[in-house]
Amino acid sequence: MASGTKKNGPKGGKGGVDAVKAARSSVVSKKGAPWGLIAGITAIALLAGGVFTYAFVKINAAKEFTASDDNKDPSENINGVLRIKYTSGQHVEATQRVAYDQSPPFGGPHDGVWADCSGVVYPSAVRNENMVHALEHGSVWIAYNPDKVQGEQLDKLKTRVDGKPYMVMSPYPGLDKPISLQSWGHQLKVDSADDERVDQFIKSLRTNSYLTPEPGGRCDSNQTGFDPSNPPPFVAEKPGADAIPMDGKGSSPAASEGAMIPTTAVSAPGSAPASAPAPASATSVPSSQ
Amino acid sequence: MTEQPEDSELPSTQGARRSGLVYAIAALVVLLVGAAAGMLITLAAVGGDDEHPGPDSIDVGFSQDMRVHHLQAITMAGLARDRSDDAEVRQLAFDIESTQLDQSGQFSGWLTAWGQPTLAPTDQPHMRWMATAHSHGGGAGVDLMPGMATSEELAKLRGLQGKEFNVYFLQLMLRHHQGGLEMASYAADHARADYVRNLARKIQEGQRAETGLLTRMLSDRGGSPLPN
Repeated sequence: MASGTKKNGPKGGKGGVDAVKAARSSVVSKKGAPWGLIAGITAIALLAGGVFTYAFVKINAAKEFTASDDNKDPSENINGVLRIKYTSGQHVEATQRVAYDQSPPFGGPHDGVWADCSGVVYPSAVRNENMVHALEHGSVWIAYNPDKVQGEQLDKLKTRVDGKPYMVMSPYPGLDKPISLQSWGHQLKVDSADDERVDQFIKSLRTNSYLTPEPGGRCDSNQTGFDPSNPPPFVAEKPGADAIPMDGKGSSPAASEGAMIPTTAVSAPGSAPASAPAPASATSVPSSQ
Repeated sequence: MTEQPEDSELPSTQGARRSGLVYAIAALVVLLVGAAAGMLITLAAVGGDDEHPGPDSIDVGFSQDMRVHHLQAITMAGLARDRSDDAEVRQLAFDIESTQLDQSGQFSGWLTAWGQPTLAPTDQPHMRWMATAHSHGGGAGVDLMPGMATSEELAKLRGLQGKEFNVYFLQLMLRHHQGGLEMASYAADHARADYVRNLARKIQEGQRAETGLLTRMLSDRGGSPLPN
């Protein structure tokens, strides 16, 4: 980068000294010293070096959090992201609960109906089973502890969500950190809305076509029975023994959606025999892709 | 000093050596300037190349912003298709929803092929790619694009029924269609890729024609356009 000025050294070891000598002596002699030229060239070299470095850094920064074939999971460049591989496409009914392994959950069996994630800021906590389905469609969910995040901090989070497609936000009572971001298989907990990793997480993972189980899955909830003005509420109590475990035993493979993810393991071994064939189709609607 | 004799002995050699050095340095500086310029060009087209537009290009900006704009129209139209009791409104809603869903998929496909995010970033204003968008504060961009409904307006629409729903849906969709025209027209004139310009032109013409239909349907139902 600084090659222009650096070359003065090695190659100019002799020449440089000579030039200085010459310049010095020429003050005395008739020839004018090229100080102006030297200063000009040095200035140009420094400027060019600066521009080069600036552009180089900017290019790397721009690509760092943009998913590509070489950078399928840009969140690997972010400190503190928890990654877990989950099986997609396992559906439960509106009356069932899932014994999620994480809080807030970010993958696993979920309700056939997704929570509306078209830039919706929910004022109250929403049922986990619906939120997890929204993650499967590529959205990023910002959960916050309503006791710890208020006022200006809350507004900063809202501006990242309100009206922004594939963004959704809700309070999460009892959250162990002020803020927790979720995308399918990824979670990042932070203390402040000013943390630069918030935007990095969103850039890296929202509708990431390499990591989203169902790219193109919709966020709006028309005809699904989900009402964003009156969503199914969050349940604080721990799920009982009848809850669907994380391996999906007792859940239904999503028939209509399973067809779109042929290679990933859609159904867990031994899933579905317990539930009748009807319920899955009762809650799951064909998602228009 | 000691260099005095050397200097006076070989003035011409000294001069030649010196100018040789100056040329060498000048050549290196030229190379460095060239490298910096090259890097700037790369910066202008990050993730792109001769074939692919970069993140600050009109093609990418338009595709990302118009996709976000379309997604809201799809949501509103889906709502009308879902719950309107008026066959003509439902039919128009289906037309808008399916057309814009397909177009939204085209935007997303292009953006993926260009190596760019398929949605406008959440931490930056919209429409910055419209450098001469004088009516919207120049290159600063906007938080809410023209014609976009706020979350409150969408919630209000969800809460309405019957004729009230139909009128408010038509009002919001009319404003939405009109709001998208400026972006579409700018991209139709200035985007680099011919297929982007073509779709932008189709959106501009199609939505302009449909605003006539929306206005007529609105007045048939006793409504009038929302105030600007």
